[in-house]
Amino acid sequence: MSVFVFFLQGTVVLLLAPLATGCVRWCKARFQGRHGASPFLPYVRFLTLLRKEMVIAETASWIFHAAPFVVLCTAVFVAFSLPLLTSAPPPGGLDNFILFAAILALGSVFLVLGGLDPGTAFGGMGASREMTLASLVEPAMITALAAFAVVSDNSAISGMLAAGGASLLQHPALVLSLVALGLVALAENARYPVDNPATHLELTMVHEAMILEYSGAYLAIIELASSIRLTVFALLLANLLVPFPLLATAISFSGALATIGATVAKLVIAMFLLALWESSIPKMRFYRMQEYLSGAFFIALAGLAFSLLSLP
Amino acid sequence: MNSLLDTLGLRDRDASVSGALCVRVERERFAEVATLLAHNHHLPLSLLYATDDRKTQGTYGVHAVFEGGQSGWLMLSTALPSDDARYASVTRTVLAAHWYERYAADMFGIVADGHPDPRRLVLHENMPEGVHPLRKDFAWNTRLPHANVPYPMHHVDGEGIYEIPVGPIHAGIIEPGHFRFNVAGERIIALEGKLFFTHKGCEKLLEGKNAKAALPFIERISGDASASHALAFCQAMETLAGCAVPARANDIRTLLCELERITMHVFDIGNIIGNGTGYTVLAAHGFRLREDMMRLSHSLCGNRFWRGMIVPGGCARDLDDRALRAVRSCLDAVCFDAARLFAMAMRSDAVRERLETTGTLRRDAALAYGAVGTTARASGIDRDVRRDHPYASYPRCPFRVAVHTSGDVYARLLVRSEELAASAAIVRHLLQDFSSGPILVPCSPTSGTAIGAVESWRGELLHVVRMHEGVIDRCAVRDPSFCNWPLFGEIGPGNIVPDFPLCNKSLNLSYSGTDL
Repeated sequence: MSVFVFFLQGTVVLLLAPLATGCVRWCKARFQGRHGASPFLPYVRFLTLLRKEMVIAETASWIFHAAPFVVLCTAVFVAFSLPLLTSAPPPGGLDNFILFAAILALGSVFLVLGGLDPGTAFGGMGASREMTLASLVEPAMITALAAFAVVSDNSAISGMLAAGGASLLQHPALVLSLVALGLVALAENARYPVDNPATHLELTMVHEAMILEYSGAYLAIIELASSIRLTVFALLLANLLVPFPLLATAISFSGALATIGATVAKLVIAMFLLALWESSIPKMRFYRMQEYLSGAFFIALAGLAFSLLSLP
Repeated sequence: MNSLLDTLGLRDRDASVSGALCVRVERERFAEVATLLAHNHHLPLSLLYATDDRKTQGTYGVHAVFEGGQSGWLMLSTALPSDDARYASVTRTVLAAHWYERYAADMFGIVADGHPDPRRLVLHENMPEGVHPLRKDFAWNTRLPHANVPYPMHHVDGEGIYEIPVGPIHAGIIEPGHFRFNVAGERIIALEGKLFFTHKGCEKLLEGKNAKAALPFIERISGDASASHALAFCQAMETLAGCAVPARANDIRTLLCELERITMHVFDIGNIIGNGTGYTVLAAHGFRLREDMMRLSHSLCGNRFWRGMIVPGGCARDLDDRALRAVRSCLDAVCFDAARLFAMAMRSDAVRERLETTGTLRRDAALAYGAVGTTARASGIDRDVRRDHPYASYPRCPFRVAVHTSGDVYARLLVRSEELAASAAIVRHLLQDFSSGPILVPCSPTSGTAIGAVESWRGELLHVVRMHEGVIDRCAVRDPSFCNWPLFGEIGPGNIVPDFPLCNKSLNLSYSGTDL
């Protein structure tokens, strides 16, 4: 039965992922006074890209071909293993927070390798920027999640969400960790103020520069993976803030429906807030990134320190 | 100015040039006199162009135009024998001449001896050597064989130096231009542009056309400055014909040029703040306001680019009271919204942080390169053709020239914002007291050379036209972009690569206006 819960969660997240991307684009367009494309456009785009011919650089090696699948696998892994719709612990403790960070890093590394592999100027440029960011993002993310682990005495993310775990009401210091995690999530998903996912200016790109050489089905895969990551982070943050309604191991039909409805609502609200955030600030100068991410790290560190002090 | 020339021992005046004082010097003294004028007398070099006079005088001509402030334009001319078309390079001492001399070398085969950078400029790899398209014996429809001549670009070697080629095809809907970045990490070490991918042959096509037939070509030199180009050309024609443009025509011309300036400044403000920094809301609204202005153009001129109104001798169509009221209401709405947008952006520290100290152009560099327009004024160079060489209705319009000194993207943005307000004030002033009367007088230029100078929204714009028996013999067009493109080599280095689009947008140069 437990496996069925995770299968249901993974399927729902995978199906909702393109909607997340579409939603944030639609909201941004409305904030700009434009009509905006339908939030469901990313589904059409995914199917269109799958059918398109791929143009691949002659210099590309097997790494270029493998990278999209590795990136997708890491995204699918976190979509299935983390407590997004359920608070039940996955088999084998797959939702360990260190493992989560490592799996995300694996995806980043392969994306970087895929960007470097064809040997084009923009790919290398984006790869170098991504590695700079990744090295700053990882410590902040682990520190932020460590605070949750400390107060719930559980290194599994599902344990942090479970009853008697890391509730914000009982442990207000975790607000700091949650803020840090939010800042990290923006950087990890190539959103403002770190990266502009909608820009056409190659020289300013980070994530988009790495995937410039990808086309057709590979591009569809990478875009889906990005959407899944965005969805996972949005739901994870929402669950850390409001850890219900989540499915238990034994589920009922109505309970599943309610959870799915709540998940869609959480996702739409999160994407609305993201669009609001991205419409109200400009992108940060690239050399300010270390200040932004060090800031995130120190907020996370403060959250961890206060959490340790508040332990009985 | 006359006494200055006398002290330099220059007495050989050329009376065929109207609208400027023209002196001839022998080619041995050309560079020396140009250097004296530029360095000792601080006259900025505004244009250097060549002519092919082999048919009439058996020589090539090289002409340097200096901006003499209150005393008008000064042209220095020299003749080079056709079998030995070389002279001592002016670039060795006056940096502002460097692209002009490379241009003349490509187009006329005139060699500037001692030019520090004698590479080709306009002609790319595919053009055979020894082809000089602006010579009179080169037919415009000549089919050339495909050549493969090297076109070397600046290159920096060293450990960790990374080369980023960008373009000529870009992701945005802009014209082709190739930029070569040499970077260490994100920091730009050297930057060079390669332009001239879509040469239109305008200067060649203008030759042999009368004023009326030439005008459509002039208006299409650079789509964002159609009215300014048309006005500069018409002013040259009218100077040659000696005709006085009626007051109402002057008012309409001034109105159109200022509306063109507002159109582009609104666009630039949205583009710099919005697209450059990623503040998308501002970009969306800036482009909406630009669209409002272009629709105003459509209702006034019948096209979206302020074209078709300014003709030699006056204006082609009159604007009735309803049109003027439409201008007034559109202007009020656009300026109100633009001011609010700008204020909103300026309240954001994050925007200021991106713009300040980015893409700094020092005043001495701007002077040396001969920068013009908003870019020069943002670096503390107080030049504006509208005030220094008044034309059309500007003498009766009070306005202040916006000058800032920090020379960064922020200063260029402030100059634009202040010019936007000044332009709106000029238009309102004109509308309050719009002249009446005829709008067109006959204008039939015959022979001679004349200068037309206009301050387009981008900067000082020059047309030097030589007519022979009613048709154009040579029309040297100098769009402000031509002076400002080389500035990227100066502005870029020291910045980080992701800030380059901001530098680029803050200059907003025309590829088409450069690539005649």
